[in-house]
Amino acid sequence: MTMIELTNLTKIYDTGELKVTGLDDISFKCDEGEMVSIMGHSGSGKSTMMNIIGCLDRPTSGTYHLDGVDVASLNDDQLAKIRNAKLGFVFQSYNLLPKISAQQNVALPLIYSGENHRQQRSMAALEAVGIAVRAKHLPSEMSGGEKQRVAIARALINNPKVILADEPTGNLDTATSHSIMSLFTELHKKGITIVIVTHEEDIASYTQRTIYVRDGKIIEEKKR
Amino acid sequence: MSIWESLRTAWQSIFANKLRSSLTMLGIVIGVCAVVLLVALGQGFQTSMTKTFNDMGASALYISSAPSKTVVGGIRPLTNEDVTALQDKNLVPAVSVVSPTRTNRGTASYGNNNASESLMGIMPVITKIRNYKMDQGRFLTDQDVTNRANVVVLGWQAEIDLFGAQAPGTTSPIGTYIRISGMKFQVVGTCQKFGGFAGDSYILMPLTTMQSKITGGDVVQQIGILASKPDQVDTAIAQVTAVLRARHFIRTVAGAADDFSITDMRETLNSMEATLAAFSLFMGAVGAISLIVGGIGIMNIMLVSVTERTREIGIRKAIGARRRDILIQFLIEAAALSLTGGLIGLGLAVGVAHAMGQITLGQTQVTPEISYSIVFIALGVSIGTGLLSGTYPAFRAGGLDPIESLRHE
Repeated sequence: MTMIELTNLTKIYDTGELKVTGLDDISFKCDEGEMVSIMGHSGSGKSTMMNIIGCLDRPTSGTYHLDGVDVASLNDDQLAKIRNAKLGFVFQSYNLLPKISAQQNVALPLIYSGENHRQQRSMAALEAVGIAVRAKHLPSEMSGGEKQRVAIARALINNPKVILADEPTGNLDTATSHSIMSLFTELHKKGITIVIVTHEEDIASYTQRTIYVRDGKIIEEKKR
Repeated sequence: MSIWESLRTAWQSIFANKLRSSLTMLGIVIGVCAVVLLVALGQGFQTSMTKTFNDMGASALYISSAPSKTVVGGIRPLTNEDVTALQDKNLVPAVSVVSPTRTNRGTASYGNNNASESLMGIMPVITKIRNYKMDQGRFLTDQDVTNRANVVVLGWQAEIDLFGAQAPGTTSPIGTYIRISGMKFQVVGTCQKFGGFAGDSYILMPLTTMQSKITGGDVVQQIGILASKPDQVDTAIAQVTAVLRARHFIRTVAGAADDFSITDMRETLNSMEATLAAFSLFMGAVGAISLIVGGIGIMNIMLVSVTERTREIGIRKAIGARRRDILIQFLIEAAALSLTGGLIGLGLAVGVAHAMGQITLGQTQVTPEISYSIVFIALGVSIGTGLLSGTYPAFRAGGLDPIESLRHE
């Protein structure tokens, strides 16, 4: 079953004076349970693609179906709900709130979905990524790898269909990068769809399929 | 996101920036403290004024022969006979108390002390109009009036002028003799302090004594009357006017003016209350300005906070916060900030009001009164100020683009 489907998708940034093409007629499919990587240099359009897949941005033209839903037709609140329930984000710079504990960070999406049992569920998520001992620590008291694990626990807490990771190992050393990638591989085995943006070939090699983007177009696709 | 959750988030954020939060609150603290104190003072002042006024006989009507209009054929002064006529229940049924007075400035002396006092010839019935409270001794009696006795009751200030400020109970002036116009008068009583604008430099003696031994003649200066019922004041005025016009041979034709005037103290009281209301309004306005300044402070800090926390807003939006969630979070934060400031300001005002206890404005003793309504208004206003000044920053925060916000450093 298709989880993500972009059809003839174009994104043009209109800055008033000049129009910049972010994505140029891209079509892309990703099945449920797949683990895909998107590679490209900076400015290639891979982040734009990620933002649109992540329902943070809307395409100028073309369609985007996520889990069978036409996302373009949804309003901002509905998009927020999809981000909360169906998507989990992992960022290069972790993006944890600095003044609350790891556990409170992980529980944050539950606040917006109105779930109960936040304590137990956030602890369970922290355990799932192997960092339960750090539950009471502030982000500033943790290493990069630990922070990224907390961020992954946060992405997992609402049992999302898709995890979107934007350069998740960009700020990590090689050993930690590989342990994070093993974690993603584990999650992939549990059936979660994972899309990873990266510019490192050995990170991309963890995924089943890699798409190469340049100047807003998909120029190559490699299956492993 | 539930309100409870928003409150918790707001509290976390306020607590995380203690110094900044307290500085922001300061404006509201001062504003609320000022409003509460000023209104409390205003109310205390009003209470004090009303009390003084009632002690002085604000419910009475005062007849005097000082007409404001030119009277053809001369003015007939008010006399004892006029008083007798007004005491006639058949002629003026709407009047219950008739209290004539004759006042004269005079010098009283005791030992080496000389004092210029207001000498008042009165009838004992005056106590139904004016609230004389005895300090020592007794008030004047009908017996004193009949006997034209040389007895006096001293006002609080007059007692001090003549006998000096003594510790209470040392030497009582009761029974001693003072001199007025070369005659000896025995002090039979002293009064407690009126305070305020009522004045305490008076010496009371029987009206008969005053007329026969000091001023001579049968003229009275002023007649205080009380209507038998509060709703009969206008009837009383009409009846008194009719009787006095007849007695003073003023023909009941248009254009013939009264040679006396009747002052209704209610009018004075009303205008006094209007003045006080304006005074309170002015005080409130002063407080309101400080609240506005405090509100602007909150708006300022919230705007800074939105900019500073752009990334946080981006993160929250990425994980599913709606525009509304962010908006409410910032609104509640602003309201919580100013409510906390309001509570502190209120506490401060209560403390200061207690510390002040009683202050003297001019001659009037004023005790600040903090009523429940001020408390609720102050807290309501501080929440309102927070919400109002939080609105723009909150809309800014809610409207931020998640992608831009996530990129914000």
